[in-house]
Amino acid sequence: MFLPGVLPPAVADSVSTAAFSPGLSLQLHAGAIAPEAAVLIALLTCLLVDLAGEKAASRWVPPLCYAGLGTALVLLALQWDGPQDPAFLGSFLADNLAIAFRAVVAASTLLSLLLSWRYVEQSGTPVGEYAAILLAATLGAMFLCGATDLVSIFISLETLSVSSYLLSGYMKRDARSSEAALKYLLVGSAAAAVFLYGASLLYGLTGGGTSLTEVASALQTSASPVTALALVFVLATVAFKIAAVPFHQWTPDVYEGSPTPVVAFLSVGSKAAGFALALRLLVGCFESFDAQWKLLFTVLAVLSMVLGNVVALAQTSMKRMLAYSSIGQAGFVMIGLVCGTEDGFAAMVLYMAAYLFMNLGAFACIILFSLRTGSDRIADYAGLYQKDPLITLGLSLCLLSLGGIPPMLGFFGKIYLFFAGWADHQYLLVVVGLVTSVVSIYYYISVIKMMVVKEPQEASDVVKAYPEISWNLAGLQPLRAALITCLLATAVGGVLSNPLFTWANSTVAGTPILMHAIG
Amino acid sequence: MVTSTISSFAAVATAATVSPGLDLEASFTDVMQGLGLSAGAARLLWLPLPMLLVLVAAVVGVLVSVWLERKISAAVQQRIGPEYAGALGVLQPIADGLKLVFKEDIIPARADGLLFTIGPVLVVIPVILSWLVVPFGQHLVISNVGIGIFLWISLSSIQPIGLLMSGYASNNKYSLLGGLRAAAQSISYEIPLALAVLAVVMMSNSLSTVDIVDQQTGAGILSWNIWRQPVGFLIFWICALAECERLPFDLPEAEEELVAGYQTEYSGMKFALFYLGSYINLVLSALLVSVLYLGGWGFPVPVEWLAGAIGQSVDAPVVQVITGATGIVMTVLKAYLLVFLAILLRWTTPRVRIDQLLDLGWKFLLPIALVNLLVTAALKLAFPMAFGG
Amino acid sequence: MTIASTTQQICFLVLSATLVFGSLGVVLLPNIVYSAFLLGGVFLSVAGLYLMLNASFVAAAQVLVYVGAVNVLILFAIMLVNKQETLAAIPGLLLRRILSGAVCAGLFLLLVRVAFTTDWALPGPTPIGDEATIRIGEHLFSDYLLPFELASVLLLMAMIGAIVLARRDVFSSDVITGEPVDQGLIEKSRTPLLLDTNDQKRPMLENTP
Repeated sequence: MFLPGVLPPAVADSVSTAAFSPGLSLQLHAGAIAPEAAVLIALLTCLLVDLAGEKAASRWVPPLCYAGLGTALVLLALQWDGPQDPAFLGSFLADNLAIAFRAVVAASTLLSLLLSWRYVEQSGTPVGEYAAILLAATLGAMFLCGATDLVSIFISLETLSVSSYLLSGYMKRDARSSEAALKYLLVGSAAAAVFLYGASLLYGLTGGGTSLTEVASALQTSASPVTALALVFVLATVAFKIAAVPFHQWTPDVYEGSPTPVVAFLSVGSKAAGFALALRLLVGCFESFDAQWKLLFTVLAVLSMVLGNVVALAQTSMKRMLAYSSIGQAGFVMIGLVCGTEDGFAAMVLYMAAYLFMNLGAFACIILFSLRTGSDRIADYAGLYQKDPLITLGLSLCLLSLGGIPPMLGFFGKIYLFFAGWADHQYLLVVVGLVTSVVSIYYYISVIKMMVVKEPQEASDVVKAYPEISWNLAGLQPLRAALITCLLATAVGGVLSNPLFTWANSTVAGTPILMHAIG
Repeated sequence: MVTSTISSFAAVATAATVSPGLDLEASFTDVMQGLGLSAGAARLLWLPLPMLLVLVAAVVGVLVSVWLERKISAAVQQRIGPEYAGALGVLQPIADGLKLVFKEDIIPARADGLLFTIGPVLVVIPVILSWLVVPFGQHLVISNVGIGIFLWISLSSIQPIGLLMSGYASNNKYSLLGGLRAAAQSISYEIPLALAVLAVVMMSNSLSTVDIVDQQTGAGILSWNIWRQPVGFLIFWICALAECERLPFDLPEAEEELVAGYQTEYSGMKFALFYLGSYINLVLSALLVSVLYLGGWGFPVPVEWLAGAIGQSVDAPVVQVITGATGIVMTVLKAYLLVFLAILLRWTTPRVRIDQLLDLGWKFLLPIALVNLLVTAALKLAFPMAFGG
Repeated sequence: MTIASTTQQICFLVLSATLVFGSLGVVLLPNIVYSAFLLGGVFLSVAGLYLMLNASFVAAAQVLVYVGAVNVLILFAIMLVNKQETLAAIPGLLLRRILSGAVCAGLFLLLVRVAFTTDWALPGPTPIGDEATIRIGEHLFSDYLLPFELASVLLLMAMIGAIVLARRDVFSSDVITGEPVDQGLIEKSRTPLLLDTNDQKRPMLENTP
């Protein structure tokens, strides 16, 4: 007599039929998150290995991370054009858009980790936890790319954000790092709160539903001011994540104070997740408010391109310069978002992929430089070509590509964006984009000039005291591998960019929400 | 606050329909309606009665425990203890209380008067509110809320705020340290405590205290949770002692180190509130242990068997009254057995250090409580008959 | 009007007044300890509002999590760092306050307008009272399974990160080379941001001397 009747019969029925029926595991389509599962397993094994001590961690954590992220990338490739059943009862959708952006995120983590090992060990911070937190950020970003439900979006956003705050403050003995973490935390929490407010309004509008399809259908019928308010709140969060002006204030300080490999991840992985979120929310959900959000994004894009590229001119620190340039780059990508045409979306995906390689290549060079010299001042790069041709070559190519100089990968990405914008009659955006591109080329070239043109006697003190180049320390080989990979992709990818174009186009073709918005 | 809580709880409270038992409210309403009152008015008249009753019960419970504490401590130390105020000194606690009431209420010159006053109040109110969910019988509970035991856990988490407040407002380093220790201790031990409760809740499929006791009836003493949750019982008891700040865990007021912790600057009625709060909390914890693990109001031999043995129906009025009375007596008896245990522990064990205290909480009790929860879940799946499947 | 609904209305008014004035106090009071205690009051009145909506489980969880954990930790942090520091005067503080006040007032007006122009679907769905616990459990293990599981990763990471940032037994040498290190950024600081010795005016840091 142990009282089975405590549950009211109706509830007991609904429990047994709705939630715990035997078919549930099939309805879940849990295979959609197999790549994330690989990352999660890598994360947990890293934490377990880390228990064995710092020596064991620095030996075993890197291969574990490679294995996890590599498996994730392979699984993502296998998912391509797969069945698009909503997984987890509508929380997650593995359409081609999600797969493409998750691949960008996973690849950016992989490359950032390759850049990290030497940096983390040279600063004396624990490797195992570093990798685990970065993998958690990846996990959050990957889930964010495919989340189709307000609750999933929020939780994955927070996983990404919390891990990012932790990573920014990882060099805890450095006041700059702590300051970066604190600023990021405060601004990020405010953004999260604003998102929650917007999401709660959307929840109310749907009458108690959180899935994006429900939200979209509820927004079709309602045009009250509350919808506009929800749009603005949600948009503010998206703009914060992709660091669009005027939601960019955190970027320069966070980028300057965070460990450089973390900045590499934040500028690519986190941003890619932000753009995926923007596509899912704005294109998938707010399509009945097309004109409004496009107007808002036009303003954001123009401001980002102008302010990012103009302020970058005045920077003396390499990291700060790249921070402002990344704001400007986000502005370029937003052109594709505003277009809302097939070409626009494809150009976005293409440019994110290109940006992955060229930006991480640039970061690989400045990490290597700061590992050898302990400086990231632009003036300290003077005359570098005589001491370290590899960094000079890599940085020059990547910066040229970021600026959009023809044979590079970045050129094709940018031209595709401008072409899509022009075809959609976004003349203002394209003109501003072209002008600010020229500005950006100016400051990119001035770095290259600093490295290449200076005579030996004009070289900076740091370069004069440049150490012997050696690759035999553990952690430098992966860095070199990442540098050369990015370099090859940036330099050769431009010429052989046809597969990338096809890939970007099939991403759009395999994504129902985008096709719906186009057609 | 109390009335709002109760009225909204009353709105959602659903009557358990396991066995009719003694239902005083129904009888009262019947009588009142017989006198010509409407059902709503009868309810309004009824509402304050159990609250007053419980308030009185809590205070009397404190008086009894204070007397017990004095007598037992004396016995432990081979003294006699209070003996002149009433027979065996039973009136001594009242004398103590009167002394505190008439003492001067001092607020230190540089203290923060407002927070200094609110602090003790915040410590006592949640403890008294928690009596809402203590059942003395099938219907002898102020409010059979669905979240029952969870209400107690969440209310008891308010207490550290009051402690921190009085510690801060006293403007005294011992007080501040005491308040900080109290808060640290409270949040550390709340987690294993909640996990231990969760294991019991998992077995009874309900958070309601009445359902938890109901799940332990049937086979008398054999069906009590203590046999199925021995580890959970120990965890709960240790954590409850820590939450009550009883020795061996009375670090917040460790007199050798902190004078009297957060109570240092208090006197008169405000001190009495702390004193009252800590003893009400002790009695409450003992009551909840008896509810969660010792079968609540259940008699060691099932009442149905006894009634059957003497050939009476369980529903007969006399049997109902006797059952109800036995229930109250059993609950109180079990609780005071535990209070006795707590007092014995207080006067026989040395105090732990603060680091030992936190280590015990985080490194020992927390993992054990997690394992206990997991094992309970596994047992529930494996033997649904015995573990409330 | 019955007794029950009157009681309900009075409770609602009291709770909302506590909530509004409490949150204003949290933001406006100069003494941070008062702000923190008031925050506890605000959390409690939110719990009271949940209770009035018949969401007793959510109310209890609100008290447990926000009052019992978050607010206690905030107070803990404040009291452990109870250092009286006189901050340097911020130039143009009044102007800043007026500006931010204006922004907040504008936002408030906007929200009020939105609240009154929207035709909310009233009354909402009937509360299910005590079954809410069961319903929440069902949701967590069916349609919110993914966020629920992801939250465990989030919490794990937050915990590990907090420990990493807080622990003292740090490595003071490079594991590979054995050289002594300082756990700072590799790029050595030229102009420290927080301790701005060169008196460089930077927009975000004007309140540091």
